[in-house]
Amino acid sequence: MSERDGTRPTITPNDFDIFRPLNWCPGCGNYQMLSAMKAALADLGLAQHEFAIVFGIGQHGNGADFIKVQAFHALHGRALPTATGLALVNPDLRIIVQSGDGDGYGLGMGHFVHSVRRNIDIAYIGHNNQIYGLTTGQASPTSNQGMKTPSTPSGVLEEPVNPLGVALAEGATFVARAFAGDVGHMTWLFKEAISHRGFALVDVFQPCVTFNKINTFKWYRERVYKLEEADYEPDDRTRAFELAESIVHIHNEDPPEASRIPTGIFYRQEGVPTYQDGVPQLADGPLWKRAREPRDVTGVLRAFA
Amino acid sequence: MATTAPPYGREVRIKVAGPAGAGIKASGETLARSFAKAGLNVFDLTEYPSLIKGGHNVYVLRVSADPITSHVDPVDVLVALDQLTVELNASELVDGGALVYDPDDVTLDTLDARLRERICPVPVRLTQIVKDAGGKPIMRNVAALGAVIGHLDFPLRFLSESLHTQFARKAPEIAEQNVAVAAAGHDAAREAGCAFPGRVEPLPDAPEKLLVDGNESVGLGALAAGIGFYAAYPMTPASPLLHFMARYGADAGVVVKHTEDEIAAMNMVVGAAFGGGRTMCASAGGGFALMVEAFGLAGVSESAVVVGVFSRTAPGTGLPTWTEQADLRYVMHAAPGEFPRVILSPGDMTDCFELAWKAFNLADRLQTPVVLLSEQYLQESHASVEPFDVAAVTIDRGKLIPEGDVSRHDGALGCEGRYLRYKLTEDGVSWRALPGVRGASQVVNSYEHDEYGHAEEGAQMRALQEEKRMKKLDLARTLVPPPAYFGPEEADVSVVLFGATKLPVLEARDWLEASGVAVNVMQVVTLWPFPTDEVRAFLGAARRSLVVEGNYSGQLEGLIRQHALLEVDEHLRRYDGRPFSPEQVFGKVLAMVGRGPEEAAAPAPEERTAVQVGEPSGKGADR
Repeated sequence: MSERDGTRPTITPNDFDIFRPLNWCPGCGNYQMLSAMKAALADLGLAQHEFAIVFGIGQHGNGADFIKVQAFHALHGRALPTATGLALVNPDLRIIVQSGDGDGYGLGMGHFVHSVRRNIDIAYIGHNNQIYGLTTGQASPTSNQGMKTPSTPSGVLEEPVNPLGVALAEGATFVARAFAGDVGHMTWLFKEAISHRGFALVDVFQPCVTFNKINTFKWYRERVYKLEEADYEPDDRTRAFELAESIVHIHNEDPPEASRIPTGIFYRQEGVPTYQDGVPQLADGPLWKRAREPRDVTGVLRAFA
Repeated sequence: MATTAPPYGREVRIKVAGPAGAGIKASGETLARSFAKAGLNVFDLTEYPSLIKGGHNVYVLRVSADPITSHVDPVDVLVALDQLTVELNASELVDGGALVYDPDDVTLDTLDARLRERICPVPVRLTQIVKDAGGKPIMRNVAALGAVIGHLDFPLRFLSESLHTQFARKAPEIAEQNVAVAAAGHDAAREAGCAFPGRVEPLPDAPEKLLVDGNESVGLGALAAGIGFYAAYPMTPASPLLHFMARYGADAGVVVKHTEDEIAAMNMVVGAAFGGGRTMCASAGGGFALMVEAFGLAGVSESAVVVGVFSRTAPGTGLPTWTEQADLRYVMHAAPGEFPRVILSPGDMTDCFELAWKAFNLADRLQTPVVLLSEQYLQESHASVEPFDVAAVTIDRGKLIPEGDVSRHDGALGCEGRYLRYKLTEDGVSWRALPGVRGASQVVNSYEHDEYGHAEEGAQMRALQEEKRMKKLDLARTLVPPPAYFGPEEADVSVVLFGATKLPVLEARDWLEASGVAVNVMQVVTLWPFPTDEVRAFLGAARRSLVVEGNYSGQLEGLIRQHALLEVDEHLRRYDGRPFSPEQVFGKVLAMVGRGPEEAAAPAPEERTAVQVGEPSGKGADR
């Protein structure tokens, strides 16, 4: 099958394989996230040239080398503006951003808030392991209060950032949480996020097996539950906000029965105009097409005569 | 024997001053446009504090029938919109100069008697005129402009046209009301009986001119170059370029984004370059500080971006609305590590247009950031200029594969047939396939990387990629605009400068020539890569050499020493937030040739008297 005879070629997860050694720690949640991403892209039938992924800096960002796509490995905390620039010059591309908790919710928090509120059509995948992995285990913005790390030996004083709550407060139209230990559920959430028109957040609890000895796969497995199995409809923003709030005050030592962690789609609203929808200049396709010959500025010059 | 005072041409110097928020800049531009419409040459300078209301705003306009390039110091007509102006500026008037003021709220009694004797008061009841016309208080300025025109015996119809242009977007009655107020001011000034020693007349068969500032000129150049994306955060003096893009660019198909900060602006521009748009951001030095991280990203990722750095007085927040040329070394070295960059430095409006469009071609050809380093003085001053040469604009996107299948481009592939974004090449430039091109899997990377773009820490590849990038500087040397030269080959004094210092220096050069001193000037248009050979040749032939630059430490002079291994004889530096005045340069050069700086610095009053502007004519002023 080929595009020439009108049918789309079948895309398989293997199409995104790259023959390079993957050097995440054995057991890292990033492996499951990578598998889920490849499966989601294949299920959606997205060929390499139809999308681009922008990565931030951190262990997640090294994934830029582990998937055969068109990618931009951006700066720490700056994946979103980089992706936004790309999205604003090429409306034909599907844009995915991968970012970590230190990356996206720390250094990049300002960009996160502004990207949400502008409803830029980007799928944002947050690798949230509540610790800095690449820089050897310091507290991250999502670390639980009281957590002791090399940079916070007496325990974290601040409340953790609540990415879902922030996104909801800024009017996000797709807000979800995944657990890296459930690849099938995560794959489905990735597909829903990539297919969603507008800013779509999937915050993924992805345990750091090396530096976060508390929020482990086991810790999460004992706590996570799926909203889809809990008679929850993701159409009420206030309810979604309450749900997002529910885990902020979980302490690491809280017993599993007292600290249930919802996963799945918290909130979804379709049909909201995206930022790109409001930019009429994008109607004619990618902007490189307009830089093939000089633009005639004689009309504008007249305004200064 | 030639005088040691500047031989001013046929010109009038008008200064309008008053509190911020009084619309002084806008009305000044209206006045400038009136004279430009009549074919006269104008140059304006706005001095204003970083305030919305209050403070002391000054607008200076120079009008001449002869070619002029900058502002000058003397004032022929001063419009005092408040008492403070009288105290601060009245002494700048030439003998016989007119002081336009509203006798209902401004008094000249505070002036020194000798000063009062040598100037000519033009009382015009500005507020009353506006009241009589049923206008708003802000229209006092327009009454004052009418008074200036009346005093100069200049036809009111050009001001009327200019007002219609200014209020074109508003209800027609508003323009009419303003014209009526201007006419009343015009009549009142004539009744005051203080005659200008000459006349200001429209030039016959006035050639078409543009009245533009540096921001507009850069914007027009970027538009012509096919810019697709402009991102910025407002900061003086670059904000007007954001406004220009939002108004004219968006209509022309440019995506314009006012971002949450400069960090986002620069990162967006880099992402947009990845997508293949011609992209630009601009800010002052302070905003560029926030952009520096992503400026380095553009360097390592080999992104084709244009960055405007429009200097103001720094460090820190500095003097937000004043000028300086102290960001040269900063822009040259900004970002960690080393990577090739091009720094272009416009010296006037025409340079702004040409270097702007050329910057986009250079960025695409070299796949590296190109900086347009300008300054507040140029970005916010208006001049009447020959219409820009839009026919000369060309588009060169370099090694770009915008669409199709990458496998058709042998030069972009490695021996195993895979696309190599960072392929090692002779000239350091690799083929750039945009996302969306089939088969072009790639990582555009902020990390050091191999030829595919994958992160790579091996010593050999690191060295090869660094060498590949730095090779672009050799290519750049063959592509960048050369220095510009003014004046005769043989000169008494040879001046080297960059940026808008060109404007007052060229003005002074003309005066010096008229005074019998030959001066030639080398404007370093491309600051980086530094034109070592050209500087060496120019200074090697110099009898006496002078570097004029607007910073404390002599950044350009240091580059000359470092690269050309030459010492210049003298330097003139300024770092008080003000642009050089031509008088200052004139005095300095005279002193260098032993003609005495004292008289030159303070020209005799009688020699500063205004003279006739325009063609001599016996006709009365027409209304």
